[in-house]
Amino acid sequence: MFLKSEIKYSEDELVVLLQQHNQDAFSYLYDNYAGALNATIIKMIDNKELAEDVLQEAFVKIWNNFSSYDKSKGRLFTWMVNLTKNLTIDTLRSKGYRKQMKISKDENSVSEVKDSSTGIEKYDAMGIRKQIFSLKPDLRTIIDLAYFGGYTQDEISKNLNIPIGTVKTRMRTALIELRKNIQQ
Amino acid sequence: MTATEIISSGLLELHAAGLTTPDEAAMVQQMIAQFTAVEKEYNAIESSIEQYALASAIEPSATVKQKLFAQINAPQQEVQNEVEADKKIYAPIYKANKAAVIAPIWKLAAAVIVLLLASSVLLNVLLYTRSNDIANQLNQAQIILADSEAKNNENEHFKSVVQNKYSMPVRLNGMEASPEAVAKVFWMKNTGEVYIDPSSLPDVPIGMQYQLWAFVDGKPVDAGMIINTVKGNKYNIQKMKSFGKAEAFAVTLEHATEKPKSAPGGPIYVMGKLQ
Repeated sequence: MFLKSEIKYSEDELVVLLQQHNQDAFSYLYDNYAGALNATIIKMIDNKELAEDVLQEAFVKIWNNFSSYDKSKGRLFTWMVNLTKNLTIDTLRSKGYRKQMKISKDENSVSEVKDSSTGIEKYDAMGIRKQIFSLKPDLRTIIDLAYFGGYTQDEISKNLNIPIGTVKTRMRTALIELRKNIQQ
Repeated sequence: MTATEIISSGLLELHAAGLTTPDEAAMVQQMIAQFTAVEKEYNAIESSIEQYALASAIEPSATVKQKLFAQINAPQQEVQNEVEADKKIYAPIYKANKAAVIAPIWKLAAAVIVLLLASSVLLNVLLYTRSNDIANQLNQAQIILADSEAKNNENEHFKSVVQNKYSMPVRLNGMEASPEAVAKVFWMKNTGEVYIDPSSLPDVPIGMQYQLWAFVDGKPVDAGMIINTVKGNKYNIQKMKSFGKAEAFAVTLEHATEKPKSAPGGPIYVMGKLQ
């Protein structure tokens, strides 16, 4: 069960199997997304051990509360990453731990990524990673804060020193650039 | 809001980040359901975020997956496991909080303080006990001193009586009842005061007492009861009744009564004439 499955599931298949509490599907889900979710937690908690405890807790919640995932409202990963972000924020808040995201000083976060293993190799092979990280630093920062840092609109506005009304449009710009890079 | 408007607003990007208000979220959901173009756009946003996240992945330790599957396969221990997980979350935070970690130097300092405190308490107890002992010794010394002073005073008194130039010593010698007994009487010629030293009389039998008699005009007159001992010591000298004149003195042994007898009844122990 702990070996990486050779079978590939489509997202639709995965969702159906997880709704039936299929552990092979859950193992596949873990293998494909644990690294991405772990990176999200690590952006908020600068402690590997604690981050892994939160990661385990997040997957337990995904397993136990899978019935609350509504496919019509969005992709599975969006649901999982938001659940993980909220759990991390709750954990930090309940333990009196301050949210302290290390804002990607561009090179830093690239080198951080280089240090890690399998998840990255997959993407290197696909040739996508390089394009993704060629995104302008200020655009990457807003993506990191909004999608992986657990920051609110207000916090993003203060952090980047931009008006709150600009946060949405700046995010739009960042995503357009990101999509362009991925499609190249 | 039209499909184009919502696509260009940035609300879809905000929504994918989970940052929309409940009202905004409801509107976005409705637009996605209503317009295929909005749905497509939203899907593209989500996919690109997912790609970005996958490209940024940091793989956790292999043990996390093992622990995870152990946890989901032991539902009866779910609550306990959650408590365990809580503990694990607490622990690193406390480790991370430097103030909560007690440095060895402070542990040592605390130990030294406790030791000093204990020593101080012990010393106080010892000193208190010692001070009590000293107080007792002082008290005893004062009693001894008082006794000694009393004795000294008595001796001084005796000396002053004996050495008084008006003092007439009268030696009372043992009679038939007590041949060995001796007593001394000092009669002051100028004042008529009479003192007796009964220290050489035999111990008084229980229930009996000595009484001094002065012979005035050939008749015995009561001169007072003799106190034989004081605090276990023989009385050296004591003042008796005064007489203007007397021919002789005698001591008899009488039955103990509250008042001295007016006439002698018991045997004469000692007797002596004034020279």
